[in-house]
Amino acid sequence: MAPIRRLRKTRALKKIGEIKEGKEIVKQEPSNSLLSLKKTLSGAFGKSSDFRVIEGFINGRAGILFYLESMINPKQMIKTTSKLFASKKDAQPFNTLDEFRSFSREIFGGVRCKSLKDDESVSQAILNGSLVIVIEGLTEIVSFHMLNTEKRALAEPSTQTVIRGPKDSFIEAVSTNISLIRRRIKNPKLTFEKFTIGKDTQTSVFIGYMDGIVNEKVLKELKDRLNGIEVSAIFDSGNIEELITDKTFTFFPLALNTERPDSAAANIMDGKVAILVDGSPFALMVPAVFVNFFEISEDFYQPLYLGSFLRFIRYLSFMIALITPSVYVGVLTYHQELLPTSFLLSIIAQREGVPFPAVVEVLLMEITFEILREAGIRMPKAVGQMVSIVGALVIGQAAAEAGIISNIMIIIMAITAIANFVAPVYSFSSASRLIRFLLIISAAILGLYGVFLMLILMVAHLCSLRSFGIPYLSPLAPFILEDQKDVFIRFPYWAMNNRPKYLESEKAIKANPVASPSPPPMKGE
Amino acid sequence: MLKENISLTQLEALLLNFLLGSAIVIGIGTDAKNDAWIAILIATLIGGGTILFYWFLMNRLPGKTLYELLEFCFGRKFAILLSHGYIVYFLYNSGRVIRDFGELMASALMPNTPIEIISLTICFVIGYILYLGLEVLARTSEIFTPYLFGFIFLLTIFLLVSGQIEMTRLLPVLGEGFKPILKSLFPGLLTFPFGELIVFTVIFLNVTDTKKGQKASLIGVGVASFLLIFSSILMIVTLGVDGILRSNFPLLSTAREVAIGNFIERIDAIVVFIMMLGILVKGSVFLYGALKGLEYIYKKPFRYFSIPFAMLVAFYSVLISVNFADHLQEGLKLVPYFLHLPFQFGIPAVMLVILLWKQRKGKKNKTGWNYGSNQKAKKNPGT
Repeated sequence: MAPIRRLRKTRALKKIGEIKEGKEIVKQEPSNSLLSLKKTLSGAFGKSSDFRVIEGFINGRAGILFYLESMINPKQMIKTTSKLFASKKDAQPFNTLDEFRSFSREIFGGVRCKSLKDDESVSQAILNGSLVIVIEGLTEIVSFHMLNTEKRALAEPSTQTVIRGPKDSFIEAVSTNISLIRRRIKNPKLTFEKFTIGKDTQTSVFIGYMDGIVNEKVLKELKDRLNGIEVSAIFDSGNIEELITDKTFTFFPLALNTERPDSAAANIMDGKVAILVDGSPFALMVPAVFVNFFEISEDFYQPLYLGSFLRFIRYLSFMIALITPSVYVGVLTYHQELLPTSFLLSIIAQREGVPFPAVVEVLLMEITFEILREAGIRMPKAVGQMVSIVGALVIGQAAAEAGIISNIMIIIMAITAIANFVAPVYSFSSASRLIRFLLIISAAILGLYGVFLMLILMVAHLCSLRSFGIPYLSPLAPFILEDQKDVFIRFPYWAMNNRPKYLESEKAIKANPVASPSPPPMKGE
Repeated sequence: MLKENISLTQLEALLLNFLLGSAIVIGIGTDAKNDAWIAILIATLIGGGTILFYWFLMNRLPGKTLYELLEFCFGRKFAILLSHGYIVYFLYNSGRVIRDFGELMASALMPNTPIEIISLTICFVIGYILYLGLEVLARTSEIFTPYLFGFIFLLTIFLLVSGQIEMTRLLPVLGEGFKPILKSLFPGLLTFPFGELIVFTVIFLNVTDTKKGQKASLIGVGVASFLLIFSSILMIVTLGVDGILRSNFPLLSTAREVAIGNFIERIDAIVVFIMMLGILVKGSVFLYGALKGLEYIYKKPFRYFSIPFAMLVAFYSVLISVNFADHLQEGLKLVPYFLHLPFQFGIPAVMLVILLWKQRKGKKNKTGWNYGSNQKAKKNPGT
């Protein structure tokens, strides 16, 4: 082998010499010079041990391959490089760029090919998992996208589970996420636009929307905000969410997040914009309004009445999680007369041995529960058993028997905790989780009046919020009659022929109005 | 500056809560004894007329507030003087409303809490809402209005079930003729709550569809009056005339009659919530009227004034009278004649005459039409 290679090398060098002498059609560019580029890149990647440089001859021309070993798909790499360097005997050395293109097409097939102009884009391409080929004498540097697509398999959603409905969920690879949405909406109008955000991390962020349906004003605003981001690193859609929402200092999430592709697709069809961040299994949906956090796609997969009923349960449990502990504090501290006498007596009998006022009791238990909850999420799986045993001791019968809290308190806390878990979108439950404490404190100071005041403040705050210019409480305030089909109750799926009006989408009508599918005439008709 | 818009439903919700406001707390038309509901019914017609009168007035120069109308009629210098009068009048009314609520809380829910605390806290909420803007106020009232209906419905059902209602208490109808009704109509019902709608003259221009605005306002007044009549009848049939006259807060006393089984006994909290909502909207709308006046005079966005002036209202509400009896006496005997009548009907009537006269003159020599805009053009270079 070795002598042949040497022979070829000398022949090739001779050719290069001929080209340099003036027979060359292609112009020599300084940035294209092999050595200088090699030097720059080696300097840029420094000590990285996975940065590889392969020198060799491609069809008789000196060339260098640059790539990051950790980013390139090894199988594809082996297949193509072996072809690349194994020049045939009768191979014509290519003289122009077009000749090289046709040559590489044979080897790389349909792999995405890109011409690069400057050093900056070369190192970007290498970082994005491309194989960069530089050939002596060609004006352009060419990169081939050969990213290692190693990724987690599609799994069931872990935070937004459903009983009936698609069981796949987004994963960390953004290309897979896009394909999951595309598979559900087979329409050329479905557009994905790419943004590169993060000065140092260069994270790809995609926005997906239906062209012609999406509200152009919202889209423009979103693009402006994405372009305006000036941070060094983006790791999750949560980062993006905080950087683009209208208001950061609020308890309520102003962008809907979902890990379910069917829900993302449904939202896109309604005229929302999806934001997919590479490396994050959660897609963001904007603009999001308050009621979106109580709707889940399963509502429409389940029987009509059940879907509406479950929605009602969700709103109810939001209120329960929000106000139960504070009402307990308010009533026991200030308004004992509101309780029926026998009930009051039983509570007082239970609380006889409890040394704390109601507010201390409630805060104690709520904080304990929050600690348990956090421990439950963070603990290593192996010690899970222990937390549940200890947890039952801390907030269970034992605590009541020890005289720290009353039995009624355990029930109050349990219903609050369970109700809090009902929220279909986890980030929304944080609102009721945090405001609950404000309510408890205001109830301790001003009783039920304090609770009312706090609730009014909360509603006023909600009324003032906007998500990309859309009022957060629409379609309730401002009230939009047409949109009530999908708020507290859900209408039959065939009746949902309009897009939500509050989104002001360009095409408001989803489908022609149809009646209920009618059965064959009854006997005797 | 972007104009704040409120929809027709929001206008209706605002009107509804405004009219119920303190009227439902202290009860109205009590002079007419068990014919109070007839008095309110007649007052409704006058109330509808009143709001149409205000609309007619504001439609002379669309897109202008009460204060700009004053300027058009009387010139800026005199208008500033009158505007100060209106501002103090609105602030005073706001303070009265808050005082009503403070007394209610002190006697019903929080007897040991000083009234100053109640005033300060609710005024802070009002200030915050107005800081967020008129839109937020309108939306907030829109959100809570369904609960209002729900609670009144619940209260009715509970009263029916607990067997406290005796329809015969309405009898005799017109037992003493029309005299008591007239007595309660003038100036009582005319000025409170219906005449107080004068403050809406600063809100009308924010309504998205001014053409349908009149109809929507009539609907709002109509629904509010229906609820007032309904609650009045509810009070009469539950408590009887003597019970109403003896009680400071008739609706609260009515709610206390509820007793179902041994479980649902005291639903004061629910009633106080109904009242709190009305008070909040009424106090806010009055304060907004005053803030817009300040904006007109001092040419600073009204948001800057909202929290300080809300605190001022809290201060007013405590200082305006020594005790509740004094407060009521002042409200029934002095305020209607010395404040309500001139500010609600006197000045607007004079304004209407001047407006019609000026515009008729304007029609004759066409240039006069542009009087308002000329005035503005003259004013602008200076500012």
